[in-house]
Amino acid sequence: MKALLICEYREGKLLDSSYELVAFADRLGADRAMVLIGSEAEAPRVNGTVYLADAAKYGEYNPDLHKRIVLAAVERENPDYVVFVHSSYGWDLAPRVAARLRAGQVSEVVGVVDGKLEVGLCNAKLRRTVTPKSAKTVVTIQAGAFSPAASPQGSPRIERIDLADTASALEFVGYEPAEQKEVDLSRAEVIVSAGRGVGKKENVAVIAALAKAMGGELGASRPVVDAGWVEHSHQVGTTGQSVSPKLYVACGISGAIQHLAGMKKSDFVVAINKDRDAPIGEVADVLVVADVMQFVPALTAKLQK
Amino acid sequence: MFVVVCIKQVPDTTQVQIDPVTNTLVREGIPFIVNPYDTHALEEALRLKDRFGFRVAAISMGPPNAEATLRKALALGVDEAILLSDRAFGGADTLATSNVLAEAIRKLHHQEGVGLVLCGKQTIDGDTAQVGPGIATRLGYTQLTLVDRIDAIDHLRCRIRVRRKLEGRHEVVEAPLPAMLTVVRELNRLRYPAVPMRLASQEAEVKVWNNEVLRLDVNTTGLKGSPTWVSRIFSPEREKGEIIGDGVHDPAGTAKLLIDKLVSKDLLPC
Repeated sequence: MKALLICEYREGKLLDSSYELVAFADRLGADRAMVLIGSEAEAPRVNGTVYLADAAKYGEYNPDLHKRIVLAAVERENPDYVVFVHSSYGWDLAPRVAARLRAGQVSEVVGVVDGKLEVGLCNAKLRRTVTPKSAKTVVTIQAGAFSPAASPQGSPRIERIDLADTASALEFVGYEPAEQKEVDLSRAEVIVSAGRGVGKKENVAVIAALAKAMGGELGASRPVVDAGWVEHSHQVGTTGQSVSPKLYVACGISGAIQHLAGMKKSDFVVAINKDRDAPIGEVADVLVVADVMQFVPALTAKLQK
Repeated sequence: MFVVVCIKQVPDTTQVQIDPVTNTLVREGIPFIVNPYDTHALEEALRLKDRFGFRVAAISMGPPNAEATLRKALALGVDEAILLSDRAFGGADTLATSNVLAEAIRKLHHQEGVGLVLCGKQTIDGDTAQVGPGIATRLGYTQLTLVDRIDAIDHLRCRIRVRRKLEGRHEVVEAPLPAMLTVVRELNRLRYPAVPMRLASQEAEVKVWNNEVLRLDVNTTGLKGSPTWVSRIFSPEREKGEIIGDGVHDPAGTAKLLIDKLVSKDLLPC
């Protein structure tokens, strides 16, 4: 069994998530080869073949060209699995490759059990195992789900891929920066975060009051930021900030794995949630089963005494 | 020109419960909603209608009761609503689903030309994010995922310029029409149905297209046309944190227990 792992390269750097792909292949027990559209200096530190195409020529992302480079590597390696990280890059590119290969695709895999792929379902409350029936399968893995080796070592055998035709219907116009980070949560010792369980925008003030009473900063989960209740600079998780405070209090946060990946390095985690089965319980040291809007004011009041 | 919006009826996953005995999904009493990301695709289609006078068709594949979802779209102002429903479509994975949706779009295209297909970036019950791209590939349309702004549509040159939401930055790209866009929530704010529209939508027609209309090879639809299948659905096992107090019935007492615990761990000053 063989897996072709598609590395990710952004702003001139190989992303560490590329080593999560290696961890996934190891869990699957698959031989591996990798593809990097980047630069040789940034080649992943692994043994085995790395197909390298130059980002200076093909862009950090161009769907037409990157698809053709991946397909060229697929042709040479004939892998059983083609694996991406479930980031915006894999999100866009994986289904293009799957469609071209007429392969089944399994998105956002969180685990491997007996060679079967596990994916989350219904906001990670459930999991399902998916069995591919096609000859090749395209997979995206959830960021943070497969822990890579602490210090990857190895020397790749570089094979270059060049496309004869670099025409593309898509015209890259430019990048725009995301909103500035106004709050630096990475240095906070105490973070109190609001999740969807707070119910509505007006209720965020109640969580902010608890954060103040505990001498900490306000954090938030992605749904709350997406809904416009809290500024993006407060977001904790893979698309926000990664944090490692002494104390993390999750208020009404069910614990999507992207959020967990951003806060699981906290020393001590308190979860306040009405659902005792919510995935946040997986990383919480202490769980209070309650409606946040009933419990948090009581807690703040006691702290202020 | 048609703008086609693909919408899906999904269970409200915030209300999904697990049966503690059988460890399976409790299906009874779970409300169905329009997939939240799809509502933003629908909103954007209606804005394009307001701006450019495009006609909007909403399509959905699902069981007969998914008609309710399309009626909501009619209440918001779509011009046509079509339910793709047939036993032969049931049990489909993302590949087989995109096959049916693509065929319906092809049929609409023969009616009056399709310039844009809009989908939510993913569904909340399946989270696979593949159906939109599958449609684009089958139809040979430009694929633009994770769109958070539509900058311009140039009819003469048949081009569209959009902004895509990436990690830590945005990307602006220009591409040829027709195009399939998957959209994120930041794209727009939703409108609410006006009462007269809501009333009118009860009378309006939701067309139903079954496989006698679409005439697809049944080996490419439903369970038969699906290269992935789900062998097991289960509730993940995990170690739980310690549950303290009774937060529901005794918030004040539980707050005290929690504070004592944090003080004993030196996480709060005495």
